[in-house]
Amino acid sequence: MAGVAGGGGNGNDFQWCFSQVKGAIDEDVAEADIISTVEFNYSGDLLATGDKGGRVVIFQREQENKSRPLSRGEYNVYSTFQSHEPEFDYLKSLEIEEKINKIRWLPQQNAAHFLLSTNDKTIKLWKISERDKRAEGYNLKDEDGRLRDPFRITALRVPILKPMDLMVEASPRRIFANAHTYHINSISVNSDHETYLSADDLRINLWHLEITDRSFNIVDIKPANMEELTEVITAAEFHPHHCNVFVYSSSKGTIRLCDMRSSALCDRHSKFFEEPEDPSSRSFFSEIISSISDVKFSHSGRYMMTRDYLSVKVWDLNMENRPVETYQVHEYLRSKLCSLYENDCIFDKFECCWNGSDSAIMTGSYNNFFRMFDRNTRRDITLEASRESSKPRAILKPRKVCTGGKRKKDEISVDSLDFNKKILHTAWHPMENIIAVAATNNLYIFQDKIN
Amino acid sequence: MLGRGLKRKLSDYEENMAGLSSAFDSSRNLPYPLKRQLVLNMCLTKLQTYKMLVEPNLHRSVLIANTVRQIQEEMRQESNQQPVNVCAGITPSTHSYTGMESSGISLQLPSGISQQESNCCDLRSAEDQIENSLLIVSDDDMSSAISSILKDLDFVEDISPPTCLVPTGDDQPKFPENAGLKLEDDRQDLKGAECVFGSFEISNSTSYLKDLAIDDIFEDIDTSMYDSDFCCPPLTPPRPPPLATEEPLKTFPSCNSSSANNIQICRTDLSELDHIMEILVGS
Repeated sequence: MAGVAGGGGNGNDFQWCFSQVKGAIDEDVAEADIISTVEFNYSGDLLATGDKGGRVVIFQREQENKSRPLSRGEYNVYSTFQSHEPEFDYLKSLEIEEKINKIRWLPQQNAAHFLLSTNDKTIKLWKISERDKRAEGYNLKDEDGRLRDPFRITALRVPILKPMDLMVEASPRRIFANAHTYHINSISVNSDHETYLSADDLRINLWHLEITDRSFNIVDIKPANMEELTEVITAAEFHPHHCNVFVYSSSKGTIRLCDMRSSALCDRHSKFFEEPEDPSSRSFFSEIISSISDVKFSHSGRYMMTRDYLSVKVWDLNMENRPVETYQVHEYLRSKLCSLYENDCIFDKFECCWNGSDSAIMTGSYNNFFRMFDRNTRRDITLEASRESSKPRAILKPRKVCTGGKRKKDEISVDSLDFNKKILHTAWHPMENIIAVAATNNLYIFQDKIN
Repeated sequence: MLGRGLKRKLSDYEENMAGLSSAFDSSRNLPYPLKRQLVLNMCLTKLQTYKMLVEPNLHRSVLIANTVRQIQEEMRQESNQQPVNVCAGITPSTHSYTGMESSGISLQLPSGISQQESNCCDLRSAEDQIENSLLIVSDDDMSSAISSILKDLDFVEDISPPTCLVPTGDDQPKFPENAGLKLEDDRQDLKGAECVFGSFEISNSTSYLKDLAIDDIFEDIDTSMYDSDFCCPPLTPPRPPPLATEEPLKTFPSCNSSSANNIQICRTDLSELDHIMEILVGS
């Protein structure tokens, strides 16, 4: 929905179609193949995924083919590399998971592409570059690399560059380690393109991309006495345009906006966003479901969006006392909170994303459902990422969950939802209506229908 | 038929919990204290499970502990208002758990649980069964359970700005509500829920080393062998070996604002361990 202006009296401006699916079809899913993060780059031509096995797979969009105008560029594998390995911390006798928690692209400045990837403890800057030429005609070595005997060389020649099959290389350029005691949950590149922040449960650090042995601690909410700990940091992000502004969300459902110009340690916020609790919906689980799992600025920088367990909220940065918009993602789960607490689903961390024009937002749910909300028309739609509806250019049918009473045809009842099939990670192309949805170990790509 | 006081297998307990939580969700007429007790039991069970993990999730632990505190607070307020046991209908002698073990709660469900299998839709009998199967835990048990569970979670060493640790001899109750509790309880009971995260950090090695004269500790340890690896003059403090940045042993968090002394002390400590580990691992 949304992104496309104009017409549509029935409210559906256009429809979403299946485009591609990546990943194995097996019923048996290897733990290492579970996708843990999805991110488009700034142009949308590259799509990166990270998985629990510490691998990064980058897909590149093929150039549009003039002879087949109806099929938009497909995403094909561009590069695969092992970003993080499992580590063992001998001091604490702990395994450090290699799972990639977040990937963030850097804006492209030359032919190479750069991205930051992080696991629980270490952030790495990767350079992905293409090599499609190689030099031939060296003087001192043979074509197969053997060194020549210098005395045998009677003439000198200038090596020439010859084309070769495209090779994409990924190399780690920087490794930012040993700065986080707790688990890193967020990284965010600053608009100055020189610095970035990394956040763990209790602290946020500021790094310079060139400097790996030093980082500045800018937020520290660790209490002097750990016994007083009641709140942790859950996500953090830099403002898209103001390089001195960032926000971080907490497990208590609050967001703090900080200005790095005000002091070196941003423990005191400039703005504090919190919605007063609705006393009528109070339950034992109120605090748990208010914990914010993701925070994202809009592309314009005027709004930010937060995701808690049951809803998505859009905040105007100029209004701290309540969100300007609230969208219910799966309100039918409110009556199931105890069961969801018992099986730990209540702790699932769903992400959310904006479309390129900030007119729509998307987030995931259970049963491989994902939801989209059009902020202008206030319409919402539920779609499913499944192999069944995976025929090329097949239009996705809207899904509906039946909350009670008679179940209509094609509706699914709350009790039939599969809570193991959760869509936590989604991404929206920065300019076009192309979305990437991670369903466990599969990556689905959907596009809008071309009329 | 299970006798009273017998420990149930964990799998059976889990099945019962799943049944109980769906009963919580579906039954609108379940009395509030019962619901609250159920949630509380689930919270404590989770915290105990986390105790068995090498590295519990801090985010979840905080959320669960806050929920427990909230319920604790509610129950205290209620018991302050009325002297009678809130959980009416449940005779403490038959169902309440007594004898707190410092190692945690052992889940003992009294008899009558097998009746749950043959339950009917009748609300009253459903309530009875839930009552029968709930573990009624007293306030003190809760507090000491949390503190004992998480006291053992000594896993995070944090050497960033040296924090003032509460000296171990401190038994001043920090929670105002604790004043209402029986004072003859154990010291650890009084610390209550606020002890939850005391053990998320190791008895801070920096302050430990500051308290004691460092030279005294290491007097008899000859570290000259380890110091000379990279031709460092013996007078300069030993530095950690410049291993590749991906060296898995280098897990020491950097300290931004600690004093130089602390850094040196910590690095001495770590470089020795590094060396020892290298030898053991044979790298």
